Amino acid sequence: MNRSPFKKTLFASVLCASMALSGVAMAEVLKISVAGPHTGAYAAFGEQLWRGAEQAAKDINAAGGINGKMLELVKSDDACEPKQAVAVANRAVDADKVVGVVGHFCSSSTMPASEIYADADILTITPASTNPQVTERGLPTMMRMCGRDDQQGIVAGDYIVKKLGSKRVAIIHDKDTYGQGLADATRAQLRKNGLTEVLYEGLTRGEKDFNALVTKIRSLNTDAVYFGGLHTEAGPLVRQMREQGVNAVFISGDGIVSEDFATAAGGNNFVKGVQMTFGADPRKNAAGKAVIEKFRAANYEPEGYTLYSYASMQVLAAALKGSGSTSGAKMAAWLKKNPVDTVMGSKAFDAKGDLQVSDYVMYSWDDKGKYAEVQ
Amino acid sequence: MTQTRGIDYGHAVRDAVLAGMVALLVFGPITGLQLSGYEVVARMQWPLLFAGIVTLGRFCMAVWVQTEAGERSLARMRAKRSGGVTVAEGKGKNWQQKLVPFALIGGLALPFILMDNRYWLTVVLLALIYVLLGLGLNIVVGLAGLLDLGYAAFYAVGAYVLAMGAQYWDMGFWGALVLAMVFGALLGMLLGFPVLRMHGDYLAIVTLGFHEIIRLILTNWVSFTGGPNGASAPLPTLFGLEFSRRAKQGGQPFHEFFGIDYSASYQYMFVYLILFLFVVAAIVFCVRLRQMPMGRAWEALREDEIACRSLGINHVTVKLSAFMMGAMFAGAAGVFFATYQGFVNPTSFTFIESAMILAIVVLGGLGSITGVVIAALVLIMLPEVLRDFASYRVLAFGIVMVLMMIWRPRGLMHIVRPRFTEKGA
Amino acid sequence: MDWHIFAQQLVNGLVLGSIYGLIAIGYTMVYGIIGMINFAHGDIYMVSAYLTAIFLAILTMLGVTAVSVPLALVVVMLLTIMFTALYGWTVERVAYRPLRGSTRLAPLISAIGMSLVLQNYVQISQGARNQGIPSLIEGTLRVGGESAYVQITTVQLLIVVVSFVAMGILTYIIHKTSLGRQCRATQQDRKMANILGINTDRVISMVFLIGAAMAAIAGALVSFNYGSFDFYIGFVTGIKAFTAAVLGGIGSLPGAMLGGLILGLSESLFSGLINTDYKDVFAFALLVLVLIFRPSGLLGKPEVEKV
Repeated sequence: MNRSPFKKTLFASVLCASMALSGVAMAEVLKISVAGPHTGAYAAFGEQLWRGAEQAAKDINAAGGINGKMLELVKSDDACEPKQAVAVANRAVDADKVVGVVGHFCSSSTMPASEIYADADILTITPASTNPQVTERGLPTMMRMCGRDDQQGIVAGDYIVKKLGSKRVAIIHDKDTYGQGLADATRAQLRKNGLTEVLYEGLTRGEKDFNALVTKIRSLNTDAVYFGGLHTEAGPLVRQMREQGVNAVFISGDGIVSEDFATAAGGNNFVKGVQMTFGADPRKNAAGKAVIEKFRAANYEPEGYTLYSYASMQVLAAALKGSGSTSGAKMAAWLKKNPVDTVMGSKAFDAKGDLQVSDYVMYSWDDKGKYAEVQ
Repeated sequence: MTQTRGIDYGHAVRDAVLAGMVALLVFGPITGLQLSGYEVVARMQWPLLFAGIVTLGRFCMAVWVQTEAGERSLARMRAKRSGGVTVAEGKGKNWQQKLVPFALIGGLALPFILMDNRYWLTVVLLALIYVLLGLGLNIVVGLAGLLDLGYAAFYAVGAYVLAMGAQYWDMGFWGALVLAMVFGALLGMLLGFPVLRMHGDYLAIVTLGFHEIIRLILTNWVSFTGGPNGASAPLPTLFGLEFSRRAKQGGQPFHEFFGIDYSASYQYMFVYLILFLFVVAAIVFCVRLRQMPMGRAWEALREDEIACRSLGINHVTVKLSAFMMGAMFAGAAGVFFATYQGFVNPTSFTFIESAMILAIVVLGGLGSITGVVIAALVLIMLPEVLRDFASYRVLAFGIVMVLMMIWRPRGLMHIVRPRFTEKGA
Repeated sequence: MDWHIFAQQLVNGLVLGSIYGLIAIGYTMVYGIIGMINFAHGDIYMVSAYLTAIFLAILTMLGVTAVSVPLALVVVMLLTIMFTALYGWTVERVAYRPLRGSTRLAPLISAIGMSLVLQNYVQISQGARNQGIPSLIEGTLRVGGESAYVQITTVQLLIVVVSFVAMGILTYIIHKTSLGRQCRATQQDRKMANILGINTDRVISMVFLIGAAMAAIAGALVSFNYGSFDFYIGFVTGIKAFTAAVLGGIGSLPGAMLGGLILGLSESLFSGLINTDYKDVFAFALLVLVLIFRPSGLLGKPEVEKV
């Protein structure tokens, strides 16, 4: 009995100390959720987002953080399922008390999750969701670091008709939000240019054998094939086309921007001559060079969405500093007025939260499994 | 019995070494040699570590099962594996029934406790949706003994009834809830007809095919369902009051009407409360159903179809009714899911979804309602609890699933048959 | 439709169907002997694709590929078959054997858990990115003129030939050897077989070994053919192969091969002649139709109900 007061004091003092510590920690850390598919079929893209954000946080913290406060990242895994996206969004808002979100990856995850962020007044910057609906719903806190399907489709559609002069175009997509959106946008632009496609069909994600589809493409004597989808299906598709002797030009969007595309095709020789739309290569940008060196020093090639994710973190940090607030609406309003210097060059946003200038250009793959801008 | 037998350490060592070698071979190439381009990088420390753990674990187990305590628990495991039927004793309440009032009060109080913790509120809400799904599939699989691998099809249909209803016919949550149940039941009947001829696992694969067909139609019929882009779904209203920050469906926001501050939790709390009452009603319905002639016919048909048919039970109506009841529950659950997520698209209704619901029913003990409730809460909340494991989350979940099945092959709850007593006796 | 396009679609279907058939054997044998749907089987096939790439990389680094490509391929195939069979055995030992004698659905759930484990285990160990193997077998057999031709690549030809040979060997094992007799006895009545002195646990282990070996052949050939794979390939292919097994009559070996071929051909022809979007709808609708008229599949024995 006589020992219990001592115990109580000890307990109370430990409690106080821990509360004080956590209080201090709370004041010095700004948490940011990096939301994306860290597990599941799309985990390769989740890794790109995470690597980019991780490096950016490291660099920003090394430069003194946000007015002395350090950034801390939270890995939020949605596996590209809307259901899990809602759960992690609520977790990020409630349990982790984040001040900003970099993500999500799949448009179908970004859309339901962004409603929750908007409600909690948290700035959300997606580095990868290209579906127009992401920013078209008028949410005040939703920003986008990448282009939109409709912008990409215009570039691709014009290129096919005006530069390539194709007459018989087949459009293939992967029946997914991203892929089909891209295919639809391209089809719309082709039709605007007075060209109707000879084939418009969807393949199944996760399959590898598209020989039947390729034979069909062969029978239609196409001179160009547009594919809306990701490299995991684009690789086998282009390989089987070449194996069956279909020499139509293969054109796709930024979903195949990954050196894994050549791996997925099973050899560099198969991807030679493949064309794709992608933002002006950040790897050529002067601001980006130093950052890219850092990635390479860590034995990681910053491809695909890695630098988009890095830039999203920079934009988020700039908004935190510039607006002097953690309110998502205020940060977004600040961003819509002030351009931000990022690893991908200076970026300005329009009233919807999209990038003002979409800088989609055509790239072409060579026989070494690398891609370069088409001059 | 008390004489102590010596422990055969030599045998244990042999077992352990053998297990360790197999582990080394199994883990060796995949964890030890990482592909990098067309070459491999060796990281042999991992398979060696894993093999070491396996060897040690196998040794401890081999020794333990030779001790008396080990033998006893091994015997218990064996006893659990082979089933057997327990009939409720007497008319007194068992512990499950004694817990009911606490569960009711706890369930009703939960949203108010979790008001400031929206994350856990949504997780519990989701788990409750799966309780409803589990109850529905329990009728089909647990009671009627028809293996259904495509249950998520009805779930998807329910969710789309709300989304499409709101989009094309200006239908609200309440209308959709009723319509989804009717629609789900009709679809269940439609599936039921061709399936009646089939037995056991042929039935399973047909339901799986049916599920894929529904999912592919939802994906491909872009002009109506929005295809992979999905469609948004409205929140429920309380006599015309809405729960969003600003009124969207032409009513008045709830918080403005009562003059209180807005909180995003209100909408989830409201959905939770409706769902909770719905689930309670569903449980009562299921309990009553088991004692009704229809429920007893299901169980009888599960045990012996030929005997039932020769006794004059119409197997067609009995099976169809099971399918319809199950599908009806799924339709309702779909509506709740759509309103919870505010958005539907086909990725939410993959085969894994059906598999999860089936896992809930099997882990729950095939027929036990308490079991289904517990299993749903465990299996849906577990991945969220495991979020701290980051990338290892799903791996850990899979391991737990296997371990739980080994630990309790007949489910968490032992099924207790209701006792029938003659009136007046 | 031109004759050559139609013929090409037949070839496409034949190749695809052979792969489905090989994987379907694993499903059908396991089902036949213990009556469970082994959902982890598709992931065993996925593991075998990784093993193929790993062993090929080792042999290339040792310089064997430079000396003789066919030798390297044979060694890779054998190693892959052995290690994948070990995986099949381990999965059965760890996740299914402790459940023997409980309800029929318990191993099914355990298998779903195992499938998640295998997928994530490979993803964590090998990374989520696509992996590939270099194309070593070149060459194409082409019949016809400049634009109207039917072709089959050497690898595709290899797939068809190896599938049928493997199928033949398996049929021989099941029908002529002592192990095969034990398998069939266990399939008919496990308890009786046990009483007659057959170690049924060992027989079941062997069935898992053989099923995994067949999946390994498919996995190796598929990775030679498509050149790439990821940790997720087991899922889609697994479901299709299972469908093929049921279509042909689950429990029947020739049925698995027949089901695979029919499924491959119908997918290929439907996709080629009508519409790719709905090819899977057609495949499953076909399955339902077949089962309505033949409730035990094409070659399955009708279930006899005993009173």
